[in-house]
Amino acid sequence: MIETFITSFKLKNTYRVNSIIYSIKQFPIIKKILPDSLYKNRGLKIFANIISILWEIINIFIGKLLYIAIMIFAVLSLYKTNQADTFLHIFMFLTFAGAVLNTYMLNPTKDKYYAIVLMNINAREYGLSNYYYQLLKLVVGFLPFTILFGMIAGVPLWIQIILPFFVLTIKLIVMNYCLYDFNKTKKVANENLPTKFVWSFVAICLLLAYGLPAIQITINQTIFLYVCIISIILGIYCFTKIHNFKDYKKMYKQILTASNVYMTENNSGTQAIKDMSLKQIELDKNYTSNKSGFAFFHDLFVKRHSKILTKAVKKQSVIILVIIVAMIIGFQFNEEFKNQTNDILMRYLPYFVFIMYCINRSSSVTQAMFMNCDHSMLTYRIYRTPKVILGIFKERLKTLITINLLPATLIGLGLASLLYLSGGTDNPINYLVLFVSIIAMSIFFSVHYLVMYYLLQPYNVSTEIKSSTYKIVQAITYFVCWYMIQIQLPTLSFGIATIIFCIAYSLISLFLAYKYAPKTFKLRV
Amino acid sequence: MLFYDNMTKYLQKLNLKGIIMKLVVKNLKKKFDKKEVLKDINFVFEKGKIYGLLGRNGAGKTTFFNCLNEDLEIDAGEFHIEDNNNKRKMEAEDIGYVLSTPNVPEFLTAREFLKFFIDINKKRIKNLKTIDEYFDFMKIQKEDRDRLLKDYSHGMKNKMQMLVNIIASPNVLLLDEPLTSFDVVVAEEMKQMLREIKKDHIIIFSTHIMELALDLCDEIVILNKGVLEEIDKNNLNNEQFKNKIIEALKEE
Repeated sequence: MIETFITSFKLKNTYRVNSIIYSIKQFPIIKKILPDSLYKNRGLKIFANIISILWEIINIFIGKLLYIAIMIFAVLSLYKTNQADTFLHIFMFLTFAGAVLNTYMLNPTKDKYYAIVLMNINAREYGLSNYYYQLLKLVVGFLPFTILFGMIAGVPLWIQIILPFFVLTIKLIVMNYCLYDFNKTKKVANENLPTKFVWSFVAICLLLAYGLPAIQITINQTIFLYVCIISIILGIYCFTKIHNFKDYKKMYKQILTASNVYMTENNSGTQAIKDMSLKQIELDKNYTSNKSGFAFFHDLFVKRHSKILTKAVKKQSVIILVIIVAMIIGFQFNEEFKNQTNDILMRYLPYFVFIMYCINRSSSVTQAMFMNCDHSMLTYRIYRTPKVILGIFKERLKTLITINLLPATLIGLGLASLLYLSGGTDNPINYLVLFVSIIAMSIFFSVHYLVMYYLLQPYNVSTEIKSSTYKIVQAITYFVCWYMIQIQLPTLSFGIATIIFCIAYSLISLFLAYKYAPKTFKLRV
Repeated sequence: MLFYDNMTKYLQKLNLKGIIMKLVVKNLKKKFDKKEVLKDINFVFEKGKIYGLLGRNGAGKTTFFNCLNEDLEIDAGEFHIEDNNNKRKMEAEDIGYVLSTPNVPEFLTAREFLKFFIDINKKRIKNLKTIDEYFDFMKIQKEDRDRLLKDYSHGMKNKMQMLVNIIASPNVLLLDEPLTSFDVVVAEEMKQMLREIKKDHIIIFSTHIMELALDLCDEIVILNKGVLEEIDKNNLNNEQFKNKIIEALKEE
């Protein structure tokens, strides 16, 4: 079994190293310098190996640290109950929830798929040895932090030490139940698609974990001691069952299907994206278009994708409307809230860059455009003639702008009226600037995404993103918008600057699109 | 170069007998990183013939098609159309490319796809027929015509892809392994159809299946070590011809 484990560890390491090298090769300039033989390069391999091993070690601790710090320790101060007991209380119920959500063994990951399905490694040996390794990592990873945070919360030392083992035994019990269930039903569920039953169980655990302390109820050390003793006895029993279970191969055959595996790995799961995109198509038998040419083509695209286009913005608009109305009602009851809102509207307009970024549909719409339409159409040479490309570009631009304008107009009008109702402003131009700058941002994002898509068309025929420039532009867009959250500027000057920027950017990028899109808009090879 | 000059002279002679269109490829080169996939492609394809393009796995058949279809930037050389000895650039309208994996817009029904395609190609389509006539021609059943293409099977999608490429009647038709996804009956229909339309087109047909190439194609062209060469049948019988092709493909 140890041999199998070493083999599987090497295998995992190899493709981790290769993916590190692959990602190094994705940078635009480095890509040109580095040859394909890179994967053979010893020095680079050693470097990637070191990163890979560091990652493995960090991986052991970082998750546990964040988990205890954020999910348990950070909330302790909210409760008036005994800190140590509350710590134990939340820890115990979260452990129950976590155990059903992640068993390690039943998680359909790529490394299991490669090893068991593609390379035909002994499923039982692979499954068990990696399972034990995961459990070991769990105990090692938890221990420093149960001690550290346990100490601060005032939990006795023996409990601090026993907590990681408690998690371990609960995991074993749940795992054994899954195997028992598989033996009985011959069916095993993909744990990344939890059933309603699992979700309800998790919800109840969360409610008990965070709800009970709020009404001054927590477990105490004695109760925990009993639970612990029971779980350890059961855990040992379950461990022997798990260790002696025979049908791992059959079980893994069921879990490790390509679709399960690729669903978990969203980054490379282009097939998953493709499948999802296909689900967005709806056929409305009653709808036909009486237009012709590009307009006909585009019209049907819009109608068949109403889920992500018109319906999505209608939902957004309703939510926006509800928020605005709720705020207006709030003004009537709370004077402080009213003043604060007024202050925010006069200084925090940059924040709305981020909000407008988040609600803009263009990014997912261009993705659907590619997956469901251009992916196939670009292989037709006639579709790539300047006339057709620009004709469809124009139709798409109109649609994207109009669709995004609906929520934007609501936000713009909403902000202006909130400003008025929260006490108004000395300079009436502020109303206009608020409204126009929101509209400008909306148009900016629509134009930005569409032009980027046409100028950088990043996908290849198997729908993988091949352009690192595209990824970088997307990342920069995100960071700039996110950075705006932290900025406070007077609405008047920032608003006017935004409007000018958006108009200038849109004009320039549209000019570039018209000039270069016929050349750049094609499938990557 | 000598080969090309000889070829041109030969074709000029033929031209007098009425061959009016050619696709001329000259010194075409394409490499990826340091790997030269197409080293020096020189060839003249003529209208009215089906060319069977054979090559081993990874020989560069698809790369060659992608270059002609301008999906890939070529590194050197050029290709053009010669129409009655008038040299001109190959335009988008000149080329139709049927990929081995069928590509059709999934959100349209078959009828809508045809309508769109006819709309944007209206000026070029000679003797335009009704949409249903085209479906009949391609033997696509009545009940399938108004279904979304995303629900079509692999083979059906391929049929649609073939159909739109034929409607536009491009001068050059590139077919990449097009018959492999069809059942035997449809494959036979498609072959028959290709024979019917070949007089108006330059058809280049890539395949791994030699029997198919021998059965359907007028000329066998081999892509090996980055160059294209025609295999002459001369007076060989089928068996000898086959051996000659395999020998040529094996050459290292």
